[in-house]
Amino acid sequence: MGSPTESYVRLSLNEDLVRSNEQVYAPHFVAILDPSLLGEVDVTAGIPEGGWLIVNTVMNQLEIQDIVKRKDLNIATIDATRIALDILGRNITNTIILGALVRVSHLFSIEALSDAIMTRFKGELAGKNIKSIQQAYDETCIYESGKDVDFLIHTKVPWQQVELGLPGYKEVDKAGVWYCDEEIIPVGSDQVNTGSWGEWEILWDKDTCTDCAQCWYICPDFAIIREKGDDGLWHMAGIDIFHCKSCQNCLNICPVNAISKRMKQGPASCAAPEETGGN
Amino acid sequence: MSVEPMKLFFKEIKEPIETAMIGNYAVAGGVTQTDPDVICAFPITPQTQSVEGLSDVVHQGRLKAAFVNVESELAAISYSTAAAAAGARAFTATASQGYLLMSEALPMAVGWRVPLTMMISARAFNAPNLSIWNSWEFVLTDYGWNCIVSENVQETYDAAILSVMISDKSLFPTMFVHDGFVISHSVQKLTLIPDKIVQKLTPKIGRHTINPKKPGTWGGIVTPSFFMEGRKNLDEAKEPVLDMMRETFKEFGKATGRQYDLIETYNLDNSSKTAFITMGSMCGNIISWMTKNKDVGLIKVRAYRPFPYEELQKIVQEHNIEKLIILEKSDSLNNLLPPFSTSIATALYPLGTLFRSFIVGLGGRDVTRDEFDVAKKKMGAVKDMNGPLYTYLGVRETKNKILGVDL
Repeated sequence: MGSPTESYVRLSLNEDLVRSNEQVYAPHFVAILDPSLLGEVDVTAGIPEGGWLIVNTVMNQLEIQDIVKRKDLNIATIDATRIALDILGRNITNTIILGALVRVSHLFSIEALSDAIMTRFKGELAGKNIKSIQQAYDETCIYESGKDVDFLIHTKVPWQQVELGLPGYKEVDKAGVWYCDEEIIPVGSDQVNTGSWGEWEILWDKDTCTDCAQCWYICPDFAIIREKGDDGLWHMAGIDIFHCKSCQNCLNICPVNAISKRMKQGPASCAAPEETGGN
Repeated sequence: MSVEPMKLFFKEIKEPIETAMIGNYAVAGGVTQTDPDVICAFPITPQTQSVEGLSDVVHQGRLKAAFVNVESELAAISYSTAAAAAGARAFTATASQGYLLMSEALPMAVGWRVPLTMMISARAFNAPNLSIWNSWEFVLTDYGWNCIVSENVQETYDAAILSVMISDKSLFPTMFVHDGFVISHSVQKLTLIPDKIVQKLTPKIGRHTINPKKPGTWGGIVTPSFFMEGRKNLDEAKEPVLDMMRETFKEFGKATGRQYDLIETYNLDNSSKTAFITMGSMCGNIISWMTKNKDVGLIKVRAYRPFPYEELQKIVQEHNIEKLIILEKSDSLNNLLPPFSTSIATALYPLGTLFRSFIVGLGGRDVTRDEFDVAKKKMGAVKDMNGPLYTYLGVRETKNKILGVDL
């Protein structure tokens, strides 16, 4: 569903505390909209003991504890994807998961959230969002660790913004160059698994394909693989799933429907109705 | 398609509206309310949404302005300056390399005395590597523009309106700056000013313009017999600008209830007689950190150019400040203090106040309580002005060592 993003909000009655523009290093509540991020991003980074991890998933608490390797967190789960598909008709879960957040945090009420929804959305759409938030509130499964979070303790790791372990100023190249045969700055963009961002698996049918290469030209990520055959000509060879973000440009441009898509089989998306191939 | 947060500005704002948006859209809204005639800018991260938002209000018919697409920042500043010289209220915006590309034309906006306004989303310039994140590139050039720096989204929204007032009053171009990404892309609470009040604050008044009925050469060549007089003429015209800014802040405060000053101070009468001095988004971090560190104060510079050095001297003397900790998001590479610190050192010279400059937060590195703790501790040990006056803080020396910090 796009590249992994994180965003934070600070809430406090003390205006001076909210006035900080410092990054949030130790969130007390973390809501995960896509469970495939659990194993991929360190989603529990900085959460203090007794903090809350709220996940859109059909997994249970033990499975989540296993993946994030933390037992000192309170966990709440909600199958927001199913609610989204049922009520909104689209896999958009960002308002829905707030129902679970209200349930465990008591930071604000469902009524206040509904008011905010109604200023942002109009008519039927507002109603659907409020209905799905209420359903999420009711259906949230709560697993308490027996520990409460202490809002007064700062748990930022000193100097974590400086990221020790990466090369220092005495170790980087004198001209800022990243040489290909050295691993000074180790993560080049070809090493990033952008394929995991996509919502769809893109499928290629070898028998239908005519090797016209229109998909190869249109792909913004060079994720269409071509190989030189024994005949000395280039032939379509498949999809580079490590980099394909499933933008579906190739699927849309293919003149012979040799490219189709299938929703990825993730824990949350398993409830999604199977879409037919092609467009 | 329109940009959601800009919808607030599609119709007349009749009452103060409390809302939340990112710094760039807030600026786009503020500029909309000042009713510019010409908007001309070239997109560059992290400035982009400000111009995107303005294209939206022009497209919706809310703002009757010429929205001009150009091929570069040099074209944008040239076009905007000329439009302002022709009598238009003009706005442009940029950052980083775009600001550097503008350099050639930046002095002429000052020379022609045009009340142009420009937003800058402060971003590092590229050397030795490309960075799209926050540093203070705008402090590196000094062509005579007025410059105000904002801490948060509310301040940068207000600055969009204040800049028009200051430009119109002083007949010098004004840039207003917020830290790129930190403020340009952070959603924060702000209160919008009703249109009627903005209109009252920013009336369009007559001034010198290019006029076909009175033809003349603007920017024509002069011999050594004339150039220096032109420069001194500008210098003298700049003298009253600080007073004009002070008046403008007062007028704005009366109309909106939000009080600003050239320099703002927090907790200066503290036990250690020490204060941080900086500007921009870091001030918020320090104020937050100060809730638990009450033995140190903060001096926040809001008006960076012209530099209010007399104001600063007065503050330091009145509060018996003995030591100043300067935090600056730029460096000089020449064994000299970087520009912001240089300005402060100049003002402090007759007072003999002790200071050290800490270079922090380059290329978007966060500036946190760790930096403030160490800077405060290091300043505690300072007894004189011997030795190097600046140091980098929050930089890795080697893989496992932070420069000047014992872990």
